[in-house]
Amino acid sequence: MDELYRQPVFGVFVTLLAFYVAQAVRHRSKSVLLNPVLVAVSMIILVLVSFDISFEDYNEGGEFLTFFLGPSVVALGVLFYEKFNEIKHNFLPFFISVFTGGMIAVFSVVIIAILLHAPDVVTRSIASKSVTTPIAIEVTQILKGIPSVTAGVVIIVGIFGNAFGPGILKLMGIKSKHALGTALGTAAHGIGTARALEEGELTGAYSGLAMCVNGILTAFAAPYVTEWVLKLMA
Amino acid sequence: MLKSLFYIFLFLFSGEAVRYFFDLPVPGNVIAMMLIFFALKAGVLKLEAVKPASDKLIKYMVLFFVPYGVGLMDFVDVIKANWLSLTIAAVASTIITLYVTAIVEQKLEKDG
Repeated sequence: MDELYRQPVFGVFVTLLAFYVAQAVRHRSKSVLLNPVLVAVSMIILVLVSFDISFEDYNEGGEFLTFFLGPSVVALGVLFYEKFNEIKHNFLPFFISVFTGGMIAVFSVVIIAILLHAPDVVTRSIASKSVTTPIAIEVTQILKGIPSVTAGVVIIVGIFGNAFGPGILKLMGIKSKHALGTALGTAAHGIGTARALEEGELTGAYSGLAMCVNGILTAFAAPYVTEWVLKLMA
Repeated sequence: MLKSLFYIFLFLFSGEAVRYFFDLPVPGNVIAMMLIFFALKAGVLKLEAVKPASDKLIKYMVLFFVPYGVGLMDFVDVIKANWLSLTIAAVASTIITLYVTAIVEQKLEKDG
């Protein structure tokens, strides 16, 4: 008989258990560093390393959960529709901001990574760092980067934006609540949007919509922009 | 719930089909996301018909990318060798993105 931990149910069970515990931790403390994904991932890695179980074996079950990222992206389209009415009178300025910010996000991270002499595969893995994980991972797959590195960096970027985004923007003289929401959603996807929602319902709507729009833009443009900059700076 | 889940997968499958037949370099699920938006906008699809499943998927989206995060354990070497450039690139780019997005929106709103 096969080892118990090689059965798909192991990966699913461990992930659900870790996520449940991580959410419980979140309820007790509001610290952004206790982000449920970060806590759950750390706990699972700790268990796997302690019992000498490979990621491959864990992922027999893990991939059942990963599969649902596909339908989740479709659900973002529904969210997009719901939020659209709240901002459609202001759509053009909003769209131009997200477009500019989204392009700057890809250009700046790729250029800085190249200047710091990061290996090609690392640069390719972080080009899509500002958008929601399921889309970021798709972009990385197109660019032949490492999806797990993408997932890690995307979460870190989200936590950074969530924790420091509003403070940094206020310091830089941003007063508009719309601008705050748009920036958080464009630069720091869903985790940034969670913070925008704390700032107010409308700020949250701008952020959620910015996350969807930048996700689409990045999915289309990031592979081309990245290849182009890599070639230009080679 | 079942009906709304059916619609989500119907659109996901359509998105993948569009990508397959037109050989587009864009993920099928992103195409599906746009298709479902336009279907809702055009009134072909009612919000109530998809909302139960889509709300649940959004709510648990973070759970679905935990396994990718765990996959990091196989790339400890890559992270160790590049953690400084990774951190600087990600943080600096995020600050630039936040500021540029916010300043453009703030300026355009005022003028408009």
